[in-house]
Amino acid sequence: MTSEIIWIQLFNGITLGVIYALMGMGLTLIWSIADLPDFSQGGIYIISAYSAYFAIILLNFSYFFAIPVAIITGMAISVTFERLLYTRLRASPNAALLCAIALFFLLENIAVYLWTPKAKIMPSPTKDMILYFAGIPVSFQRILIIIVGVVLFIVINVFVKKTKIGKAIMATAQDREAAALMGINLEKVYITTWALGGALTAIAAALISPLYAVYPGMGTLPLLKGLVVVILGGMGSFIGALVAGLILGLIETFGSVYISVAYQHGFAFIILLLTLVIRPQGLFGRR
Amino acid sequence: MKTIEDRIKTVPPTKLIPLIIFAILMIIVPVFASGYILFVAVLALLYASLAASYDLLFGYTGQLSFCHGAFYGIGAYTAAILTVRFGFTFWEALIPTCLLVGVLATIIGYPALRLRGAYFAVTTFFLAHFIYLILLNEVELTGGPLGFRGINPPEPIGFISFDSLSTYYYLVVVFFIIVVLFLYTLVNSNLGLILISIREDEVLAESMGINTAVYKLLAFVIGAVIAGLAGAFFAHFFRLLHPTTFSWLLSEMVVIITLVGGAGTLIGPIFGAGIVTFLLEFLRFAPELRYVGWAAALIVILIFEPKGLIGLLERVRAQIKKKG
Repeated sequence: MTSEIIWIQLFNGITLGVIYALMGMGLTLIWSIADLPDFSQGGIYIISAYSAYFAIILLNFSYFFAIPVAIITGMAISVTFERLLYTRLRASPNAALLCAIALFFLLENIAVYLWTPKAKIMPSPTKDMILYFAGIPVSFQRILIIIVGVVLFIVINVFVKKTKIGKAIMATAQDREAAALMGINLEKVYITTWALGGALTAIAAALISPLYAVYPGMGTLPLLKGLVVVILGGMGSFIGALVAGLILGLIETFGSVYISVAYQHGFAFIILLLTLVIRPQGLFGRR
Repeated sequence: MKTIEDRIKTVPPTKLIPLIIFAILMIIVPVFASGYILFVAVLALLYASLAASYDLLFGYTGQLSFCHGAFYGIGAYTAAILTVRFGFTFWEALIPTCLLVGVLATIIGYPALRLRGAYFAVTTFFLAHFIYLILLNEVELTGGPLGFRGINPPEPIGFISFDSLSTYYYLVVVFFIIVVLFLYTLVNSNLGLILISIREDEVLAESMGINTAVYKLLAFVIGAVIAGLAGAFFAHFFRLLHPTTFSWLLSEMVVIITLVGGAGTLIGPIFGAGIVTFLLEFLRFAPELRYVGWAAALIVILIFEPKGLIGLLERVRAQIKKKG
C-alpha cells in the first residue's frame, strides 16, 4: 500500500515537473535572449487556458483541437506584446520588467473581470482514462503530459541546433552585439523567441488545466516555479530546465506528503535561495 | 559651473512655499474633514511612507523589488503579535519589529543582490508570495485566514492618548515627516550620490571602487525597515490584520504609486500615494476594473512618460516657458 502511494506520487511529481520544465524552457529562452524574466507569460498562461476552455465549451471543439487553439492564442499574445511594447523598452531593462509585470497583472484582472474568479472545470477525454501499471492507477492525462513534454524537449533541441533561425537564436543568446554584427536579423530572432515562449506556456496551460481547473489566479504559481526552474537549471539551458523542472516537481509532491502540505508552494523559494547562495549560475549554466 | 553638491545645498526659498502650504494643509485636515476622509488620509500617509522608502531602492539605486508590501505585512504582524501575545507596549514593539524586518531583508537581499540583472526582482517577487503563504498558514501565530484581532491603539505618551482618529492621524503625520526628512537627508548625502551612481552605471560604479552589493543591500534594508515600521503603525490603526491585505497586490500598488508620481524624486511617490489612495477609494464600486485600469495606466506611463507625474509637470513647464 505504501509503495503504491510512493509510485503515484512519483508519477504526479514527474507530470508536475514536466509542466514546470515547459514553462521554464519558454522563460529561459526569452530571458537569455532579451535579458528579461518575462512575467507576462503568467498572464498568457491564464488566457490560453481560457481559450482552450471556451473552444471546448462554446465551439464544441474536442480537447485535442483545443490545444492548438491555446497555442495560437499564446503565440499571438506573446508576439503582440513583444512587437507593441518590449521593443520600445529594450534600452531600459527595468522598464521592460515592470511592463512585463504590469501585463501579467492586466491579463489576470481582465480574466477576473470577464469570467469571474470562479474555477471552471475543463473537460478532457484523457482525464478519466485510467491506466494501470502493475496495479498502479495513472490518469492518461499524466501520460500525455509526459509524452508531450519529452517530444517537445527533443523538438526544441533539434530546432535550435539544426535550423538556421534556431542557430541564430542561440548565437543571440550568447552575444547580442556580435550576432547582430554577423548579419543575424535580430527582429526575426526576437519574434521567433517570443512565439516559442508563448507556445510553450500555452501548451503547459492546456495540458495541466484538465487536472486542476481554469481560474484567473492559475497563472501565478506556474510562473514562479518556471522562473525558479530557469535559475536552478542555468540561464539559457534546455536540459537544465528539464532537470530542474523534474527536481522541483518531485520535491514538491514528496515534500507535500512527508514535510508539509501547506508549504508545498514554498519549497521552490527555498530552492531559489539555496541556488543563489551555492550555485548562482545554476546546474547547467556557464559562469 | 555649479557642482551637484552646490545645487543641493542652495534650495531656493520659492521651492519651500508649496511644502509649507502642504504642511499646513496636513495639520488642519482633521479640523474640517469627516471621519472617512481622515481614515483615508491616514492610509494615504502610510502608503506615502511606503512609496518614499521604496523610491530609495528603485528610484535612486535603480533596483526593482516586488516585496515592499510583504515587509509592510511582516512589520504589521510582528508588532501586533508582540503587543497582543507577549505584552509589549506599542513603542517597545517597534524595535524588535525593525530588527526582524532588517535581518530578513538582509538574508533575502544578500544572495540576490550580489548578482546583477533580474535575479533580485524574481527573488523578491517570490518572497512576497512566500510571506503571504506564511501569514496564511501559521494559524497559531497569525490567526491565518480568520485574521488577527484584539490589537489595541498605542499606549498614551504623557497626556496624549491615541484612541481617537484625529490624534492617530497626527501620530502618523509625525511618523511620515520623520521618514521623509530621514530619506531626504539620506539621498542628499554622499550615500545618496553613491546610490545614484549605481543606478546610472553599476559596472562603472564598481570599477570606481564602490562595493555595489553592499550599498544596494543597504538601500534595500533601510527601505524594508521603514516599510516594516509603517506596517506597525497600520496594525495599530486598523486593528484587524488579514493576509490578503498584504498579498502581492499591495507590493504592485507600491510600485505603481512610485511610478505614477515619478521615481527617483522622493516627492513624486509621496504625491503619487495621495492620488492613488484617494482614486482607489473613489473607484471602490468597480474593484476588478480598478486593477485593470491601474495595470493599463502603468504600461502607458512606462511607454510615454517613464518619469511619472513629476516628469509630466516638468515637460508642461518647459512647454510654457518656450511659448512665453
